[in-house]
Amino acid sequence: MSPRRQVTLYDIQSCFEGIIPAAIATASADGVPNVTHLSRVHLVDDDHVALSNQFFSKTVRNLAENPRACVEVIDPHTYDRYRMVLRYERTERRGPLFERLRRDIDAIAALTGMQDVFKLRSADVYRVVELELVPSAANLAEMRDAGPDGGRES
Amino acid sequence: MPEVVEPLIDAAAKEFLEAPCSLIVGTVDDDGLPDATRAWAVDVEADGRLRVLLTANADVALANLRANGRIALTATDFVTLDSMQVKGHVTAVEPRTSADEVRFDSNWARCIAVLVDADLAAAEVIERFAPPGVVACVMVVEAIFDQTPGPAAGTRLAPTGIRS
Repeated sequence: MSPRRQVTLYDIQSCFEGIIPAAIATASADGVPNVTHLSRVHLVDDDHVALSNQFFSKTVRNLAENPRACVEVIDPHTYDRYRMVLRYERTERRGPLFERLRRDIDAIAALTGMQDVFKLRSADVYRVVELELVPSAANLAEMRDAGPDGGRES
Repeated sequence: MPEVVEPLIDAAAKEFLEAPCSLIVGTVDDDGLPDATRAWAVDVEADGRLRVLLTANADVALANLRANGRIALTATDFVTLDSMQVKGHVTAVEPRTSADEVRFDSNWARCIAVLVDADLAAAEVIERFAPPGVVACVMVVEAIFDQTPGPAAGTRLAPTGIRS
C-alpha cells in the first residue's frame, strides 16, 4: 500500500542532518511501550529511512518482536515536528549504507571520546508508511493566515 | 477501593523529572502500534503519581491512553543528555487546570532559557515549537530506567536492578 502523505521525506531533509535528536517509540510483543532519543535518522530514498543499531537495546529487542515504530523528527531550522510510522524491512551489515552510518557513528564516538563504546552493529532499514506534520501553535496560525488551500496539516 | 500506589520516585528522580528537559512519550494501541509524542511538564505529586502535560492535538497518543493507559516517558537533560525513562499506566486524561497552565508557562520559559544559555537555539525559533495547547494525564509509575545514551541505557533503577 502506498504511504498516505503530502509531505515527502525529501521535503524534510534537514530533519535528517542529526542536529536535533529524534524520538522513537516501540512496543514489546506484549504491548509495553518504550521511548528514547535517537542521535540521527538517516534518509535512504523516497520511502525509506535507516536507523543505526549499536547496542542490543530495548528498542532493538522490541523491533525484533514487533517490527513497527513511530519516530518524531524535528527540523533544526524551523522547529517543525514530523511524525513518521515505520515498518522494519531489512538489516544491512556491509555496503554503502552501512559505511555511511558507520562513519557517522565513528564521528560521534570521536567527538565524545567513546570510540570503544559506540560501534555500529548494523544499519536497519525501515519503510515509512505514514509521514505528517505535527502542527505547533505557530504552524496552525500560519495555516489560518494562508487560508483554506494552505490550511492542510500535512 | 482506591488504587494503592507504592511511590518509586525519590527526591533525585523528582528533581530530574521536574527540571526543564526534553520530554518524550511513548504509547501503544491495542494492535501493538506504537506512537511517539511530546510532553511539556511533569509534576510529581505527593503520592508519587505524575501529572504529565501532553500536547492537546496528540490525537493518537490520547486515544491510546484512553484505550489501554500504557505509557512510557523519557526525560533528557538538554545539555548533558542524562536520561531517565519511567513506565507505567495512566489512570486519567483530563482537561488542563489553571495550575497546569501556570506549570506549562513556567516550564516552557525555563526550557527556552536553558536552550538559549547553552547556545543550542535562538529563542524566536524555539518559540515555534510551542504546542497549540496541553491536556493533563495522571500516571502511576511502575518502573524507572536509566536511559542515558550508551551501553547501559535500559538499566532498571527501580524497583530492581535488572535491565528493561
